[in-house]
Amino acid sequence: MDSIIKDLDTTWQDGESKNITFIVTKDCQLACKYCYLVGKNEKERMTWEVAKAAVDYILAHEEDFQEPSVVWDFIGGEPFLEIDLIDRICDYIKTETFRLNHHWFDSYRFSFSTNGINYDSEKVQRFITKNHSHISVGITIDGTKRKHDLNRIWKGDGPEKGSYDAVVKNIPLWLSQFPEGSTKVTISSADIPYIRESVLHLYSLGIKEVNINVVFEDVWNDGDDKLFEEQLTLLADDIIEHGLYKNYACSFFSEAIGKPLDAQLDNQNWCGAGKMLSIDAAGNFYPCTRFAGYSLRNKRPIIIGNITDGIDSNKLRPFLTLDRTTQSPQKCIDCEIASGCAWCQGENYDAAKTDTIFQRSTAICKMHYARVRANNYYWNKLFRKEELEANKPTQSVNPI
Amino acid sequence: MIKYLIIPLSDNAVSFCHYNARKGSSATIETETLRKALIWAMKENLSVQFLYPSEGVGKNIELIINTIDHTDIVPADCRDNNRLKGADIVVFNTWDGIETFGFRPDQSYIIRTTTEILINHRDGIQALLKKVNRLNIVVTDVPNFNPELHNGYQEFLESLIPTIVEEYSSGHMVQLNLLTDRIMLTGMNNCNAGNESLTLAPDGNFYTCPAFYFDGFPAVGTTEQGPDIKNPQLYRLSHAPICRICDAYQCKRCVWHNQQLTFEVNTPGKQQCVMAHIERNASRKLLEALRKAMPGFMSETIIQEIKYLDPFDNIKI
Ligand code: SF4
Ligand code: SF4
Repeated sequence: MDSIIKDLDTTWQDGESKNITFIVTKDCQLACKYCYLVGKNEKERMTWEVAKAAVDYILAHEEDFQEPSVVWDFIGGEPFLEIDLIDRICDYIKTETFRLNHHWFDSYRFSFSTNGINYDSEKVQRFITKNHSHISVGITIDGTKRKHDLNRIWKGDGPEKGSYDAVVKNIPLWLSQFPEGSTKVTISSADIPYIRESVLHLYSLGIKEVNINVVFEDVWNDGDDKLFEEQLTLLADDIIEHGLYKNYACSFFSEAIGKPLDAQLDNQNWCGAGKMLSIDAAGNFYPCTRFAGYSLRNKRPIIIGNITDGIDSNKLRPFLTLDRTTQSPQKCIDCEIASGCAWCQGENYDAAKTDTIFQRSTAICKMHYARVRANNYYWNKLFRKEELEANKPTQSVNPI
Repeated sequence: MIKYLIIPLSDNAVSFCHYNARKGSSATIETETLRKALIWAMKENLSVQFLYPSEGVGKNIELIINTIDHTDIVPADCRDNNRLKGADIVVFNTWDGIETFGFRPDQSYIIRTTTEILINHRDGIQALLKKVNRLNIVVTDVPNFNPELHNGYQEFLESLIPTIVEEYSSGHMVQLNLLTDRIMLTGMNNCNAGNESLTLAPDGNFYTCPAFYFDGFPAVGTTEQGPDIKNPQLYRLSHAPICRICDAYQCKRCVWHNQQLTFEVNTPGKQQCVMAHIERNASRKLLEALRKAMPGFMSETIIQEIKYLDPFDNIKI
């Protein structure tokens, strides 16, 4: 397609970098209703000793971490609640990679997903100024005030109170520092009616890239797919009719989705669990944060090692050999619109009938169908518009 | 499809495999449960294998056992002489008494031992290969198979080659699971617990294999309702990404070890793979030696030379 259409930015050094996540705290100012972190609490905060031991272990085992670059990811709860610790960890990483002449010394990023509430605090701002060229920050804002406040509410007793105002005030500052900043929006059943207005609202705030996805959990009600398709169709009309596609991107619409997949050639796993590493406050290692105890509803955590004993490579073998067809039911293997139908390994594990990562959850099946239908509409309509505009006679042509 | 039903008759019934039976309990299966299970097994056309404790079993159990065609797996120290005499398979859990045991050509034998002790009993195994027709060696500490043991295990296996060649040359086709099975097989022949075999435990419930019962895993069904294995595809070779590209056909592919080492029944730990590949490569040397001694021996069989000891290293996703 013509380059006039804005593409979604791919992640920094996508596929080339190791993703290492510090779960610095399990605390957060908010109590979002869809939050998958079932075990959030105020007590489990990472200590400096644990963080340092984790960095020491990782840097001392360079042979096991050969990716050319690294994304040091900090999550929570709300990571910026622990900005002092984060600052100390980042300084330590920089000095240690230099001292060890480690191949990640000049090939790293510090990445944050924040609720944005204390983004303008002095400490966070000082940290951002200090590390600016090596930072990615995503602020989560769910859309319009009514949509955002539907789910993203303050923690605590008393009447529910939304957090929209506390977040939106920091958006201009954030975008002035990270003009390409993107946001993540998560759609659950109750959010469907607000999808269109929310994406347009985020665009109007100056956010050019909206990464939006439906939750993987089995939360969908009868009729949700119809409503979802309708919202996406309306959104497609707005984006195309107002030419928003030239400067803004929304991850719901992609040319690559909705095609059959070859059982041999397109057999990769969807997510990077196992190729990433997560560390919690106790110093335990996980293949991804979704396998830590506070993220799981029904299953035991999958711990693949710890800062003292290192990584147990046997525990990684299932993750590193897991392919699409082995975990998929036959209906997914035969599916005519399989491409772009995502899964989360952690949710698969949590929802599986046995303690396995090899059983794919298909709770989003009907939502993917709806998305593909709206997506087909979007591209057909957009191509037609482009085609008509390209063929439009120009003023300079002199009709005989 | 399930073809075999394994029944440990009590909590201290002999282990025939990698797991250890439960220590400290001698609870015996209830007669009524056993009776129902055997009727079910007949209806399902299953081959039944009974595992006995050293003290044997009471008359009530004996009577029920005899209502079905079956295989008896009996410990070598069984105090019921008739039971031991009638055994199809005799299991040794220690090396005591092996030298003086009256081995018979119509019985098969299992020796359960740790790797280190096995390596130290090379002479004993060589002597045994002359006396028996079928010997299975089961290593009970696979998870501890570390690189320091690799050479010792390889040397041990290779040291048995001359004896086997000698026996074959004289017409005694002795079978040793670790070396001759790979030569005879043309495809995977693994334990297949959960896929081809199932266990009825002394508590009256079904388990994937006795190891899962003794290790405290949940049951996969009751005698009332029948077995109900969830995610059964994960016990099949087709859904085992490492094993399905492997040619160590003699490997047990122990799903219990898989569960212990990797948390997944379909994914082996490194220890099991390396051990099985040392056996595979030694089998290749045995085949060469047999061909030298007996030109044309199994001329169709080819075991390729390979450079890896763990098929996981060949998978790049
Ligand atoms: S799973 Fe199979 S190989 Fe493993 S202990 Fe059980 S019967 Fe033996
Ligand atoms: S050697 Fe490893 S890959 Fe091969 S069958 Fe045994 S467990 Fe599976």
